[in-house]
Amino acid sequence: MRYPTRLGRLSVPRRKVQLAAAAMLVATTMAACGQDGGAGASAPKAPATIPELTKDPLTLSFIWFDWPPAHALEAFANAEYAKERPNVTVKVKTVPNANWHDAMFTQFAAHKTDFDIPILDSQHIGEAVTNGNILDITDFVKKNIDVKAYNPYLLAAYGQFPQAETGKRDENASLYGLPLLGDTWTMIYRKDLIGDKPPQTWDEMISVAEKCQADNPGVSGLAFHQANGSDAAAVTYNTVNGVYGGNLWDSKTRKIEGVLNDAAGQEAMDVLVNKMKPLTAKGSGNWFIDEVNAAVAQGKACIAFNWIAASGGLLDPKQSTLGTTREQILDKLGFATLPSQKTNLVPLGGMGMHVSAYSSETNQAEALNFMKWFEQADIQKKWAAAGGVPSRTDALESPEFLNAQPFNKVYTDSVPRMRDMWNVPEYARLVDIENTNVNAALNGAKKPKDALDDIAKEQQGVLDSSGRKGGGGL
Amino acid sequence: MSDPVPLTTDHPVRVASATPPAPGRSRRLSDRWLAVAFISPALLLLLAMSVFPLLWALYLSFTDYSATRGGPAHFIWFGNYTAILASAQVHLRALTTLIYVVGAVSLQIVLGFTIAYLISRRTHGRGLLTTLFLVPMMLSPVVVGLFWRFMLDAQFGVINSMFGSLGLGQVEWLTRQRTALFSLIVVDTWQWTPFIMLIALAGLTAVPKYLYEAAAIDRASEWFRFRTITLPLVWPLLLIAVLFRAIEAFRLFDLVYILTSGGPGVSTETLSFHVYKVAFLGFNTGTASAYGILMVLVVIVLTQLYLRYLNKLKED
Amino acid sequence: MAVSVDEAASTGPVRDHTPPARRLGGRGRSVLEVALLTVLAVVMLFPVLWMIETSIKENRDVYAIPAKFFDFKVTLDHFKDVFAASGGGRSTLSVSFLNSVVVAGVSTVLATVLGVPAAWAYSRFSVKAKKDQLFFILSTRFMPPVVVVIPIFLMYRQAGLIDTKLGLILIYAAFNVPFTIWMMKGFVDEVPAEYEDAAMLDGYTRLQAFWRFTLPLLLPGIAATAVFALIFSWNEFVFAIFLTSSDNVRTAPPAIAGLIGGTTVDWGLVAAASVVFALPVLVFAYLVRKHLIAGVTLGAVRR
Repeated sequence: MRYPTRLGRLSVPRRKVQLAAAAMLVATTMAACGQDGGAGASAPKAPATIPELTKDPLTLSFIWFDWPPAHALEAFANAEYAKERPNVTVKVKTVPNANWHDAMFTQFAAHKTDFDIPILDSQHIGEAVTNGNILDITDFVKKNIDVKAYNPYLLAAYGQFPQAETGKRDENASLYGLPLLGDTWTMIYRKDLIGDKPPQTWDEMISVAEKCQADNPGVSGLAFHQANGSDAAAVTYNTVNGVYGGNLWDSKTRKIEGVLNDAAGQEAMDVLVNKMKPLTAKGSGNWFIDEVNAAVAQGKACIAFNWIAASGGLLDPKQSTLGTTREQILDKLGFATLPSQKTNLVPLGGMGMHVSAYSSETNQAEALNFMKWFEQADIQKKWAAAGGVPSRTDALESPEFLNAQPFNKVYTDSVPRMRDMWNVPEYARLVDIENTNVNAALNGAKKPKDALDDIAKEQQGVLDSSGRKGGGGL
Repeated sequence: MSDPVPLTTDHPVRVASATPPAPGRSRRLSDRWLAVAFISPALLLLLAMSVFPLLWALYLSFTDYSATRGGPAHFIWFGNYTAILASAQVHLRALTTLIYVVGAVSLQIVLGFTIAYLISRRTHGRGLLTTLFLVPMMLSPVVVGLFWRFMLDAQFGVINSMFGSLGLGQVEWLTRQRTALFSLIVVDTWQWTPFIMLIALAGLTAVPKYLYEAAAIDRASEWFRFRTITLPLVWPLLLIAVLFRAIEAFRLFDLVYILTSGGPGVSTETLSFHVYKVAFLGFNTGTASAYGILMVLVVIVLTQLYLRYLNKLKED
Repeated sequence: MAVSVDEAASTGPVRDHTPPARRLGGRGRSVLEVALLTVLAVVMLFPVLWMIETSIKENRDVYAIPAKFFDFKVTLDHFKDVFAASGGGRSTLSVSFLNSVVVAGVSTVLATVLGVPAAWAYSRFSVKAKKDQLFFILSTRFMPPVVVVIPIFLMYRQAGLIDTKLGLILIYAAFNVPFTIWMMKGFVDEVPAEYEDAAMLDGYTRLQAFWRFTLPLLLPGIAATAVFALIFSWNEFVFAIFLTSSDNVRTAPPAIAGLIGGTTVDWGLVAAASVVFALPVLVFAYLVRKHLIAGVTLGAVRR
């Protein structure tokens, strides 16, 4: 900028005209290519019988977030599935947890996926089905899967859309996925600090934690998920909400306002913020899976809550100060099902396998074949032994599973008690609203009651906004 | 803007000082072709990767298009814009961004100028000192964000550990409304103070020595010299540095994503972070585009106003 | 840009002068200044030192309270983990480093090849609305990346460029071209046009004159400019996280960010990966230290 000429102001109107012309041009182009997505209002159907499989080398790709079960799945599938299909290599692609939903759905949006089997969170199904991103496998399941071998709700939670009622499965509803990894919260407690017997009710749990914290300086009473990313704080509130008899919504009338923030909901929020939060470590307001694990491993928590599938690291002596061997650590750590209060509900975690609508037909056939293979009784037991959490009732009750990890029995006992969140296309927005508001309440940025009312109001707004013109998503 | 590079031949030429007087028509013609050939590839890339996407976003901003839901886009004209401008959620993010930009940039100016001033008064080791101070600026925001998150951890972080040794209590750096935004400002300041320092140093070392000598003869006070000689010479440079920092801070995303992910609640969500949520959580592409266009407009308008102010300042 | 940035900054290159005479206060004040400078230097450098320390600590020392500053056992395990996977073979982290090298390298070459000739043309020829063009070019650099990524995403979806290295290379090149043009134009301006005129009187064409006489003089400037472009692409995070998802495309910044958010966080590994990632940048930045100001202000401020 050496030349002190002034800006050519005269040229502005001309440029505006050009800009407008260019915009029109783009608009026409867009209108022309905007039709590609028009057909995808419902999910395409998978064949009832598996088409003939290829004999050529093939890579079957999954996408999941980066955590131990993802690595376990890749190792397990390559070891076991290769016995049946030697030409197939299984690759489990992983992305950071925070980026998991975005990574899958941006590829869906691109109508081109580099994975064949997306591992969706159970609440992502609605969004994927509505956009036509995954195959409808209802007929395939009828023909190939022994549905009686499962707790019906597990099949429904990881596959059915529209969402089933808690604890049930609607046999006439369509299925879009099969269970891959079951999960729920476990209560992790310090046997050496609070005794061998875990607290049975939520109130008892709080008072035990209170006493433990007072007796052991430097150790906090509780540790649980409070972060505002992923579904961390939302699952925590939903769990307490369930235990205290609240409801997240009325799915038939699509009502959240007045349901979530009813008396039971308010009580749950009050318990969470005013009774549980004061027992947590200072600055734990952004904790998620890894921070809770770190607190337990460092001996800084009396009672903690975490996902079962994420608890394996706790028994690793290299990461723990609780002992130098697995046995020593197990002398101090106990795993139990969640305490109950007005109800005994526990959060449903885990994920199902689905088939990308944008994979090649060869890969889709292979994916279906993998799913059929995976849901067999003996394979489910082997998956359990390899560190996975199966879903078939026979596998869940098998010694292979129950003896593999100390917290596996917690899962088996929790299955009949599970409740999921909303499985609707608007899930990502709903969970973000709940996450940020619960996180705000936990960290003193909002009053608990205001936070709950805001959640109900904003979530209701999202559910009701389908017909609105402009400003969606704000 | 979008037409092929126009070149001057028959125009009253604003000749660049470096351009030789054009000797003949053929030479000028070949020069013109050369200029076209040299400039157009770069401009074409920019047109394809910057202008076209922006126009596309402009078009989408008038529609209710969603990248995932498919289906044709319906024109809703200014529906997105009015919804954004009226949204209390957006106002909240705008306020957060404003506090952040003003806080971070002013802190950086004060610190950066102080360091530059102190360095400029050293005779020895200036080069080494400058190099050391510049390290934070060269790091990736990812590395900076992750590492500060570790250091600011209330339980295991080294900052609280040092506070503890000094007998101070634990501070919840990232999980309280005030401290979280403050931490964000501190981290940004840590990374970008060197930027201001570098530019201020350039100005300070360029102050001609004779001016100080003249002032010394007049027995002017130190403060007087600083105010009448140093500052006026460094000030224009600093103002440009401020412009750069303000634009960068205005569009901040990565540090928020890693350090607080907007928490607690939404109290450290900047405008950029909010755009991300609108665009990728609900895939409300139309709304997000309008939101983005508004952000670009804010940058352009404020930059123009600021530059005009700078020009006026220079004329006075 | 309606202000001539250079003019505002045109206090001229007076480099080797001694600092203003210290008369008032004398030694006491000097000591105070040195002390203050030391404190500031320690504060600014401590996080970097802490990162290096963490990268060579064992995990149990990483979490130690109170923090261990000196008495810890040194281990290089974390650095080993950066490159080697636990089960043998290359770690995904090291693959991402390689991806970063490819993406940053190729995009830098592309930006240089496109930007340098354009900068020369802008400097030498009278181009219509030159200032407007130059300002427009610079302004594309100031768009918030999160905003740009939305239409780029849609565009790449049509073109099949999502989750490809080529996609990242193109967007990084487009982000670096404005910088290259602005920065290089300054360097070209410093080479007198008379050299080319003289060559042309000797019978060379303009192009030959540029190629044989100007370009060799520009090489140091090109090197400096390319290094800055390299640093920008190397550190970039926003486009990388939204436009890529698979291991064999992902660059290092999202890969390092992905180290947290699993079930356990290995801060030693995060620190080691950060050190390895930052090292090339620091070396490069040191090499171009003379041009830092122009580099960080997109060529708008020079001295």
